[in-house]
This record gives sequence, C-alpha cells and structure tokens, in this order.
Amino acid sequence: MRVEYINPFVEAAFNVLKEVLNTEIKRGELYLKSTSQPVLGVATIIGLAGDVEGRVLLDMSHETALKIASEMNMEELTELDELGKATITELANMITGQAVTKLHEIGFRFDLTPPSIVTGRDMVISDSGVEALIVPIELTQGKIEINVAVKEKA
Amino acid sequence: MRAKMDYPNINTKKPDGMKPDGSAYRVLIVDDSMFVAKQISQILTSEGFEIIGTAKDGLEGLEKYKELHPNVDLVTMDITMPNMDGVTCLQKIIEFDPEAVIIMISALGKQELVKQSLLSGAKNYIVKPLDRIKVLERITSVLKGT
Repeated sequence: MRVEYINPFVEAAFNVLKEVLNTEIKRGELYLKSTSQPVLGVATIIGLAGDVEGRVLLDMSHETALKIASEMNMEELTELDELGKATITELANMITGQAVTKLHEIGFRFDLTPPSIVTGRDMVISDSGVEALIVPIELTQGKIEINVAVKEKA
Repeated sequence: MRAKMDYPNINTKKPDGMKPDGSAYRVLIVDDSMFVAKQISQILTSEGFEIIGTAKDGLEGLEKYKELHPNVDLVTMDITMPNMDGVTCLQKIIEFDPEAVIIMISALGKQELVKQSLLSGAKNYIVKPLDRIKVLERITSVLKGT
C-alpha cells in the first residue's frame, strides 16, 4: 500500500482533533501490518470504493472514546451510549471528509460509506489481500490509531 | 478604582435568536447525528433561538416542516442522511414552500452537493466541525438578509 493514501487521513485527524479537543497531539511511528490484528475496543469503520478500495478504521480504547466524547459534548459521559457513539461517529466523519477532499484534489475518485461503529473486547480485524498502515496518535485523552487499508482497483 | 459603569455592558446586546419584534426565531433541525443535532441546538438556544422540532432524516424533516409550516423561520439541514438525503429534502421543502429558509450543514468533501443545494434554493451552508461563532455568523447573516 502506498503511503500517499494514509497521509491525508493523518493530517485530517490532526486538524480535526486539534480543533474539537483543544489538546496537544503527538504523532507516533507509522507501522505496517499485513495479517489479522486486534482492535482497541471502539472502532469506527468507513469503507472506500472507487479508484481505490478498502477501509479506514479509527481505533481507540473504550476509555479514550468516553473521554473524547465527553470533551466534545462538554459534559461528563459515563457510558458510551447513543450520544457517545454518535459523537465518535461524527469525529470519524469529519476526519474522513477532510481527508477525502485532499485525495480528490490530487486526483483520486471514490465514495465513502457511512461510518459504522463496533465496540467490544478481544476483537480482531482481517483484511484479505491488503496490508494496513497504522499511525498512532497520542492525545491527553489517550491513543487513537488511524488504520488505513486500501488498494488501487485492478 | 473604576466604577462598574466604565465597562461596556455586554448584556445590552440583543441575542441573535431574537426577531426585531422580540420573539424568538423558530428552528427545525434535520440531522441524523444525535451529536450534531445537540450541538446545533445548544449553540442556538444559548442565543435565544427556539428549537421547535428535530428530525432524524429527510423524510421526517419534510413531514415536520409541513406540519409546522408556517411557524418555521429556519431549517438546518444535514446532507448525508438515511431514507431521504438533505438535498432531496431541501428540494421537496422548497417545492412545498418557496419561501423556506434552509441552511445546509455539510462535512468537508461534499462541495458538489453543497453547490447543488445552493442552486436548489438553500440560503447558505456551514461546514463541520461546527463552532459557535461560525454557526451564529452564518445563520444571522441569512436571517438578516430575509
């Protein structure tokens, strides 16, 4: 997978998180995973279809999701209820929206699926035939992993 | 020591949500995201607007508009929604009431749909993430223009 695909997502995540959370953000080292991988607990998945195909995963622990949702709602959420999930979904929407604008500008054409959010323990995600690039992002609220697995349409 | 009177009184500003006659602008929020609907509602009620209805998709939005008409001064319309999208809902509302005042709420990356909405009669648009100043600026400028 080419790194060009993940950079817009990381940049967009930076911009959006900085704007909505007012916090310091640190980018971790990019790494590659080619087989099944565990997810952290709250994963928002958005599908891509067009010139490139695949999916983007915004992955974080339950605790981090709660802290972020609380911050974005300016009230303490104690569980990841409907509002909490809608908040994390909206965060993913804003990040991918911004990233896709950048990718469209450099000539890639594709559509996005609406985000789905999955929560639970000990989950594993497998993508057949495509490796995933992951960029961890450190926030005061915890860690978010931007996990992108896309390939050019054959 | 300075007396209190030396400071400008910030409370003399009329809230943005108030019409010239002193009553509140009445707003219908159409958005499938509970988070965004809540955000818009908080920003607007804090400025004196009255939220008279919310709808989770375009279909419900259209029904609510017809039901509340002519008591809606402003509609905020999300673009991507299940059942009926925001652009279609906008067109149907304008068909029903050409005077409807509708502002689109869009994620980045939807320029084409925003353009289409403006051509179909939307008065303005706001790109997410929403912040208080941006939302109030756009909405006030639309309401003043009408």
